[in-house]
Amino acid sequence: MSAMRVDAKVVMLGKESVGKTSLVERYVHHRFLVGPYQNTIGAAFVAKPIQVGEKVITLGIWDTAGSERYEAMSRIYYRGARAAIVSYDLTDSSSFQRARFWVKELQNCEEHCKIYLCGSKSDLISEDRSLRQIDYHDAQDFADEIGAQHFETSSKTGTNVDELFQKVAEDYNSNAFQEMKPEETSVDLSQKKDSYFYSCCHNN
Amino acid sequence: MSQRTERRGGIHVDQSDLLCKNGCGYYGNAAWQALCSKCWREEYQKVRHKQIQDDWALAAKLQREEEAAYASSHGSQAQPPPQSTNPQPGHASLGPFSKFEEKKTNEKTRKVTTVKKFFSPSSRSAPKKETQEGKTPSPSLSRRASFDTDQVSKDFMDFLKNLHKPGREIHKQCRAFIVTMSSKKVQDLGADELSECVQDFYQNLSDRLLGHFKGSSESVEQVMDQVEKYIMTRLYKSVFCPETSDDEKKDLATQNRIRALHWVTIEMLCLSFDEEIPEVSENVVKAITDVIEMDSKRVPRDKLSCITRCSKHIFSAIRITKKEPASADDFLPALIYIVLKANPPRLQSNIQYITRFCNPSRLMSGEDGYYFTNLCCAAAFIEKLDAQSLNLSPEEFERYMSGQASPRSSDGVWSSAPPSDPINPVLAQLNTNLEALSGLSTRQEALMEAAQSLQAELLSWPQSVQHEVTGILKKYPLEVPPRHVPAIDDNDDVDNDNLPPPLMPQVFSG
Repeated sequence: MSAMRVDAKVVMLGKESVGKTSLVERYVHHRFLVGPYQNTIGAAFVAKPIQVGEKVITLGIWDTAGSERYEAMSRIYYRGARAAIVSYDLTDSSSFQRARFWVKELQNCEEHCKIYLCGSKSDLISEDRSLRQIDYHDAQDFADEIGAQHFETSSKTGTNVDELFQKVAEDYNSNAFQEMKPEETSVDLSQKKDSYFYSCCHNN
Repeated sequence: MSQRTERRGGIHVDQSDLLCKNGCGYYGNAAWQALCSKCWREEYQKVRHKQIQDDWALAAKLQREEEAAYASSHGSQAQPPPQSTNPQPGHASLGPFSKFEEKKTNEKTRKVTTVKKFFSPSSRSAPKKETQEGKTPSPSLSRRASFDTDQVSKDFMDFLKNLHKPGREIHKQCRAFIVTMSSKKVQDLGADELSECVQDFYQNLSDRLLGHFKGSSESVEQVMDQVEKYIMTRLYKSVFCPETSDDEKKDLATQNRIRALHWVTIEMLCLSFDEEIPEVSENVVKAITDVIEMDSKRVPRDKLSCITRCSKHIFSAIRITKKEPASADDFLPALIYIVLKANPPRLQSNIQYITRFCNPSRLMSGEDGYYFTNLCCAAAFIEKLDAQSLNLSPEEFERYMSGQASPRSSDGVWSSAPPSDPINPVLAQLNTNLEALSGLSTRQEALMEAAQSLQAELLSWPQSVQHEVTGILKKYPLEVPPRHVPAIDDNDDVDNDNLPPPLMPQVFSG
């Protein structure tokens, strides 16, 4: 697995215990480990090939530490990411505030990164509606405002999990084609060369 | 030339002597060998062009040699990928290739003109510099080549041989690149510019391999790994921790910082390591070794794999402790802990080196990239670490930092801590050492006492001896009895009776 080639980098962002790792674990291994506190399942890095049309795209899924003490460093994590899954807990309004923080960070620093807003633990809501603290429409409005996709998932039952990652892969695929075109023209290449030759006499 | 000597001598110069040597009617310039700017440029281009051609001849020679070398060993080697995909392999690959080279030549000449433009007012340093750039690199390269680099070059050649045609071009481009790079004065170029050169080279080469040779992305990646290994092994010395950057200063700062943070414990980082389990402590030690080993590698990718190995050990340590796989929430603090314990040499330089010269695709998305990013995070965290990030009060943090207190003693565990303290082996060691020291000091005190009493005893001894002697002398005063000389009385001698009578003198007649 270590030698697997990765096409796109996808970062998981979200407060501690919102279920970032569970989401990855459910998606990659189709399982959900039962326990009092679910923050410790699965490895931190997963490379997962996905079939998109006729192509296979390998997503490199990066888990990140959600603790606030590492907030200052989060920028290092999402550098160069093509997609970010910003998770929040449907039963915890503070986690949504943190999600807003990350969205803002991403918009400021990583404009090419597509954002996927993901409300987790939807199975808890369907059991008991009073637990819901984040209104679906509020979240959807926020997602529209920032131009993000919005999903409500459950890692326990698997609801919407595959759909979320499939969407990520599809978006990457269509975006990648658009971005590939200008790169393939040969003009680009010579311009780059220029810059490095001029750099040796940087008096101008 | 003649005008110049005249001028130096202070002799009046004729108007005609100032004109261009070619007789085109414009004024000449001594800096341009008495030519006008236009004629000089033409002249110079001619020389330059000749040199480029010579370089070409050399490159072609090298190529032929290489061809011969592997034609003999790999006589019937499989055909390269481009030939199988392209209906007109020879023509198709030749066309764009020559165009590419043409472009390169153009760039060279363009560079010449710009350099000349810069240097023309200040005399003839420009052409001199040019020739230096063209000629010096090869000897300096061969001089620098050690056994290590030779080995890498050989591996690289072996690898490229299997690639047939693309391999030759890759080799040529790599060589050319190394020559350009080593001809540039590293001191003149900032670290970022060096990085840009190398990254541009990676980018152009992989674009070419993908676009022109129609290589699959996997095989291109393989090639790029080899290229990176070859190039960076050769350039390592000149571009690792360059003098133009402040990498070294940062290294020192980080090192001191980590040293000052020696007291940070597993608990403060909210970390789930149980070092009492032998397997865990073994993994911790291995992780520390790996992260230290990183500094000894030359190729960015090798450095990365050290980090990856270190991370894998950390993961297994967490898994053994928690009995379940670890997530990023466990991993990052653990890595921070390992870095604090290991204090890896030249950490910042290594991070910078990898960032600048590693193949970007690997760094940005792959597994190695993930662990490297975590290491960067750990380094940033350590740099910015304060009381809050360890869940301590600012006063406590201050006291620990200044060394006035240590976390162990403030808990009151210090005095009662058994020698085999499981949390911190260093502290346990310290305790046993302290105990040994105090034992030593009591023994030394006893020794001193004994020595002093010995001294006192020694001092009193002669006195007592003297005392005794005088006592004895008083008791038995020295009386020399009159000497008794025995009188010799022959008469009393009884034995004399047994003796023969004394000889009497006899008289002999005749």
